Amino acid sequence: MIKLRMKFKKHGPIRFLGHLDVMRYVQKAIRRAEIDIKYSEGYSPHQILSFAQPLSVGSTTDGDYMDMTVLSCVSKEQVMDDLNKTMNEGIEVIAVSELDDKAENAMTSVAGAEYIISFREGKVPSFDLESTMKAFMEQDKIPAMKKTKNGEKEIDIKPLIYRWEIIDNKIHVLLSAGSASNLKAALLISSIYSFAGEEMPEFAPVFHRVDTYLSGEDDKGYYIKPMIFESCQDLSYAVKDGNPEGKVYV
Amino acid sequence: MNEKLALSDEILLSIQKPERYIGGEVNSVIKDLSDIKVRFAFCFPDVYEIGMSHLGIQILYGMFNEYKDVWCERVYSPWDDLDKVMRRDNIPLFALESQDPVKGFDFLGFTLQYEMCYTNILQVLDLSGIPIYSKDRTFDDPIVIGGGPCTYNPEPIADFFDIFYIGEGETQYRALFDLYIEAKDSGMSRKDFLIKCSQIPGLYVPSLYDISYNEDGTIKEIAAKDGAPQVVDKELEKDLSNAYYPMKPVMPFIKVTQDRVVMEVMRGCIRGCRFCQAGQLYRPLRERDVEKLKEYAITLLKNTGYEEISLSSLSTSDYTHLDELLDFLIEYCNEHKVNISLPSLRIDAFSLDVMSKVQDVKKSSLTFAPEAGTQRMRNVINKGLTEEDILRGSHEAFEGGWNKVKLYFMLGLPGETTEDIEGIGDIANKIAVEYFETVPKEKRNGRTIEITASTSFFVPKPFTPFQWASMNTKEEFLDKANITRKGIMSQLNQKHIKYNWHEADASMLEGILARGDRRLSEVIYNVYKRGCIFDAWSEFFKNDIWMEELEKAGLDPMFYVKRERTKDEILPWDMLNCGVSKEFLWREWERSKQGVVTPNCRQQCQGCGGASYGVGICFEPKTGV
Repeated sequence: MIKLRMKFKKHGPIRFLGHLDVMRYVQKAIRRAEIDIKYSEGYSPHQILSFAQPLSVGSTTDGDYMDMTVLSCVSKEQVMDDLNKTMNEGIEVIAVSELDDKAENAMTSVAGAEYIISFREGKVPSFDLESTMKAFMEQDKIPAMKKTKNGEKEIDIKPLIYRWEIIDNKIHVLLSAGSASNLKAALLISSIYSFAGEEMPEFAPVFHRVDTYLSGEDDKGYYIKPMIFESCQDLSYAVKDGNPEGKVYV
Repeated sequence: MNEKLALSDEILLSIQKPERYIGGEVNSVIKDLSDIKVRFAFCFPDVYEIGMSHLGIQILYGMFNEYKDVWCERVYSPWDDLDKVMRRDNIPLFALESQDPVKGFDFLGFTLQYEMCYTNILQVLDLSGIPIYSKDRTFDDPIVIGGGPCTYNPEPIADFFDIFYIGEGETQYRALFDLYIEAKDSGMSRKDFLIKCSQIPGLYVPSLYDISYNEDGTIKEIAAKDGAPQVVDKELEKDLSNAYYPMKPVMPFIKVTQDRVVMEVMRGCIRGCRFCQAGQLYRPLRERDVEKLKEYAITLLKNTGYEEISLSSLSTSDYTHLDELLDFLIEYCNEHKVNISLPSLRIDAFSLDVMSKVQDVKKSSLTFAPEAGTQRMRNVINKGLTEEDILRGSHEAFEGGWNKVKLYFMLGLPGETTEDIEGIGDIANKIAVEYFETVPKEKRNGRTIEITASTSFFVPKPFTPFQWASMNTKEEFLDKANITRKGIMSQLNQKHIKYNWHEADASMLEGILARGDRRLSEVIYNVYKRGCIFDAWSEFFKNDIWMEELEKAGLDPMFYVKRERTKDEILPWDMLNCGVSKEFLWREWERSKQGVVTPNCRQQCQGCGGASYGVGICFEPKTGV
């Protein structure tokens, strides 16, 4: 039995698939590829497959992840190739790694997510992004209203923003993610708009996920790093920070 | 893959289920336009999830795309949220694969599966920018063609269509495409093209038939002109086993009604239930070769990755090689973690044995369709199922661990009495009693019998023995539903029986449209103009508008619904021949009045006319009665 983690990208019209439909799509692709995936026991067995972090409808990604357990395979690369042959519609597996048995699954190990937020034509903010972001981040606390099960609650999002940068009028951010403290890119951008005192036009921001991170700690402190560093985009903080393992200390 | 989308991100993000409109599904077909001479937009005029579940489109979509010079794409009715946006922003309706406007296609084909979709046809034409009436179109507009069961009385929508294809699509489309290419190359006029189309077997060109009416509103004459045949015969696939079958069905991203491999095991039905239109239209019964079906099953599951396969036909228990096919499938599917779904199986020891192997007995329910509450009434409708069959099947099922039973009945069948209606409660109660007698208390494990009885209102359909029959009015239907309910309430085990019934207004309209004539085209146009679409969806159905527009047009609903037709009346669909003779249907109508059962095709040939096709059950040895 082998636990595999796959890194995939998603571009093009398929970005309009909801998370559950992406899962259904991959499940069927796995069957078409005749991958010897493990199934759960019981009357309606399901594939042992888990996805890291849902992505909102309409967003693209270069770094989403899924874990699967296979009973046998020629090699992990072969699983990736077989899967890609049956998935030619905008989803592509770009890297694969083998996990040890004790590894946390993709969903529970998520600790960070990196995004590029751009703006649709005709919906670019009128305020200057660089100076607004600077002032925004210089606040002692950045209050934002987060939707919870019991309505809304005010939280401070400042500690959840690990890195930021403006490139070509796009916001490049590395945010805390996962079950412990999750900051959605959509909440960040609406907070920036309200800080700038401007109403955000509907559907103005376009979200692209650069990568998804897990966390760790070493003698230099707490860090996050891409779940698979291989095939990481050059513009990613994991590459730019220059640590050979892609560690970003936060 | 096609990166282009007809709708902007803002629109796609603001509507429900954008996946309905983006195309790009697995196994959808993209072609290079430079090789294409015929672009065909195939529409199921309802929402995507319903349309994508339809096997007929999958067959023809695959078949058309096998042709090098044809590109077939799909179109569905935009849901009401997108409909509003498209009207507001003047966005033309587009086909899913290329995302190109439908208006630029050569053909727009509609599959017509139920009458309540008629206003959606107008929605699709309108949003496409194609003139709604055939007479207003030019050769720059697509040729609008309809197929499917409703084309057996296409008259209420005749004015909107250029051509109807009568019968099974496998046979004549290539001839139509060749004629079209020739017409375009030679600069033929649209009118001359349509006249030539009428010479292709199975193609009914409604504009070539003049209908005149008597003072009482019945039809005086159907006059074919420009050399069109007086009667158009149904087309039939004579070699079903070797006919095209799609091995790579298009797979929707979202969950649709049929979220599984659908494998058609045979076409047609031997049973001859007198209310059933499909049972007549698809005669004679033709089975697919069992070895081919085994291959198909494996290939289809491999090409799709589906976790379920369903065997499709009108009565799968009648498939001769069912045991062999199921033995094979059970072995293969267990190994590959695939479910087998078995709709339309007769409940008997064999099917229960199979079902217990492929389903979770505790969760699944048994389905019986007695259709009527007494044996007398079941004889009238020629439904072979007896009370004894139902109780024996139930008994065996209860022993096997089942405890949920679904029962389907119709109300308003010809000659129905109060006793027949009350019989529905009786039979449900007897099933409950059977349960308590079969399963002792200590074996029930806290479970008990759950029976759901559902009634629908009977709507007479063309080309059935009941095509001449009087249909009940709304008031009669509701009275009958009430009698049924009271009948169930009076039963000893009534707390174990749940009763559902359908709305009566929609059934009335279905009745008007099913046996309507060409004068209804104007009414359909007018109700559409007043905002009627998705009439099949109760939340959208606006009965008042329909009734008002019928009245404005001077048409009496009762003329279409309540009136029993005489033998010599010219019926609106008399220019069509579904392969079953009018004499046979009339004989069956007479027999039904006498409550006489007619043997099925496997027992004894009744000379319905289906044998003229020279294939199928008609030429197999009979078992006798």
